[in-house]
Amino acid sequence: MESGLTSLFSVSIDFETSHLFFPHIINWLMGGLFALILVFKVVPFLAAVRRGEETLPILGESMDKFRFFGSIALIAAYFYLMAVVGNLFPYTGYGFLFVSMAFVFLMSMMYMHTKTKRKVITAVINAIVAPSLAWFILAKLFQITLP
Amino acid sequence: MLDILSLLDITFFLLAAMGALIGIIFGAIPGMTATMAVAVCLPLTYALGLHHGLALLLGLYVGGISGGMVPAVLLNIPGTPSSITTTFDGYPMAQKGEGERALRVSVVASVVGGLISAAILFLFAPLLAEFSIKFSYVEKFLIILLALTVIASMSRNMLVGIFSGVLGIWLSLIGTYSISDGGNGHTRLMFDFLEPYLFEGFSLLPVLIGIFGIATILLEAEKGVKSGLAGTEIKIGKGGGFSLNLFKGRLTNLVRSSFIGTFVGMLPGVGGSAASVLAYTQEKNLSRDSSEMGKGAPQGLIASESANNALTGGALIPLLSLGIPGDSTTAVLIGAFTLQGIQVGPLFIPENADTWYVMMTALVFANIVMFFLMFYAIKHIAKVVLVPKYILYPIIVMMCVVGAYAINYGIMFDVWTLLIFGVLGYLIQKVGLEVAPLIIGFILGGQAEVYFVKSLESFGTYSIFFTKSPIAVVLWLLIAASVTFSVVMGLKSRAKNRLETTQ
Repeated sequence: MESGLTSLFSVSIDFETSHLFFPHIINWLMGGLFALILVFKVVPFLAAVRRGEETLPILGESMDKFRFFGSIALIAAYFYLMAVVGNLFPYTGYGFLFVSMAFVFLMSMMYMHTKTKRKVITAVINAIVAPSLAWFILAKLFQITLP
Repeated sequence: MLDILSLLDITFFLLAAMGALIGIIFGAIPGMTATMAVAVCLPLTYALGLHHGLALLLGLYVGGISGGMVPAVLLNIPGTPSSITTTFDGYPMAQKGEGERALRVSVVASVVGGLISAAILFLFAPLLAEFSIKFSYVEKFLIILLALTVIASMSRNMLVGIFSGVLGIWLSLIGTYSISDGGNGHTRLMFDFLEPYLFEGFSLLPVLIGIFGIATILLEAEKGVKSGLAGTEIKIGKGGGFSLNLFKGRLTNLVRSSFIGTFVGMLPGVGGSAASVLAYTQEKNLSRDSSEMGKGAPQGLIASESANNALTGGALIPLLSLGIPGDSTTAVLIGAFTLQGIQVGPLFIPENADTWYVMMTALVFANIVMFFLMFYAIKHIAKVVLVPKYILYPIIVMMCVVGAYAINYGIMFDVWTLLIFGVLGYLIQKVGLEVAPLIIGFILGGQAEVYFVKSLESFGTYSIFFTKSPIAVVLWLLIAASVTFSVVMGLKSRAKNRLETTQ
């Protein structure tokens, strides 16, 4: 009964390594597709860049470096400090509350282009009110865990 | 039936209304989408019960999609991608001083689109679910394969679309091959030192919130967070009152566009812009007099807005009957459902009849609330397009953190996942990969693995995917059709481009 075609398709999966079976297929698929994209998309694109018709993404574009990297750094610091301060006052959500206030204010200042007294005051009020409100509603009313 | 009435209390309706209002505000702010509204408001649903949570989420969804019309009409900026065709006729009308009339036409079209699609959802989803209950692992795997193929073929470039989808699957495989799914509990695709963090892989919601929340902020930060709009004057205008006469002779357009929207919504991963663009071009081709379209004709608004609101019901059809999200917003909804302990799929509607009726009530009610809010309070809502971003963005990051942290009851790694996927989402969009296939791949990847491996374990041959049942064959034909469609469209547009460059 066993013809050439059925044995070609037949497969048995060893339970011990079954966690690798599907990832292997996906790895190969991804590698193959990546090669295709490299040949049909990336190489022509790089050629166009060399001719000056296109610009490289990220590297070749003008970007607001201060605000972009500032955002990433600020967000990373926010996440880190939240846990640190949160450990000082466990189960209160104060880590979230206090660090969020500082974060909201600093990010507002960073995104503000022209600083006027009025705008800064708005930012300060926002930085105090918004985290307090979020903290009160979520941690106090809804009993949601916060750092 | 009476049981259901007891589930619908005042809080339920208030939450649906609140959801619609918050959704409209999010939709109305350029750069913020319905997806973001749902993602950012997720923490609010943690403390709510299932039905109340659903009311809020569906309200957000409906409100978020329709809110996009406000900046589209007033500022010529689509608030959500799906309102792009609304700008074609809405903005010219606003410049003629007919902004209010344009918005009201759009609101009426939206509510009709939303309600028609809700009716189709109500009739069609149970049928599809009943049909798909009989599916074995083989058919389920093929359904996922079909979903990913359709998404990829709707991408700007099919190769890139498929790659994005496969990348999403790859990301979803990180972690253990879970014993509860019949796996052996070993980890893969990661370094051993990451095991304490990644044993269960990346959590779905932090990934989604990172990609839709943090990445959006990074993309804006790169551009310098222009405040540009602050000095802009909004012209709502009094001129040209609204009357239902504007809809005279437009019924066909209204119904056709709603059906187009619902149908496109059903296709997995195809965003709202496809629906409204298709409805708009159909109106242009089929209407008797399309000469005014693009210069401020209400018929364009009707086509665009009824189609993009009809998406809501359409996208819920595959979500509720097959467990496959129809767009990125429903992708976030699937996470929210899981959180509430609901497993969406073929058994969802038969086993949770109450929840199903509650959802339909919430959906219809959210549409009605959206209509009254937008129709009568549009002037006040329109002002939110001017809220400065330096106030808004920090609050969004803060809400993203709450959402991610609280999902698994306080795991800091989930918050870091936000940043990882925020940066990844930014890079993905910068190098030209597609977000929609990646997300759908990420959501469905785990299931695809289980269905695939289990099918092979029980049948021992790859040929089972072709010979299991007639349904399997039909699914393969559909997959082939969507690939062919994409290739033909690709060749056509290439030929067109070549023609344009030679001229």
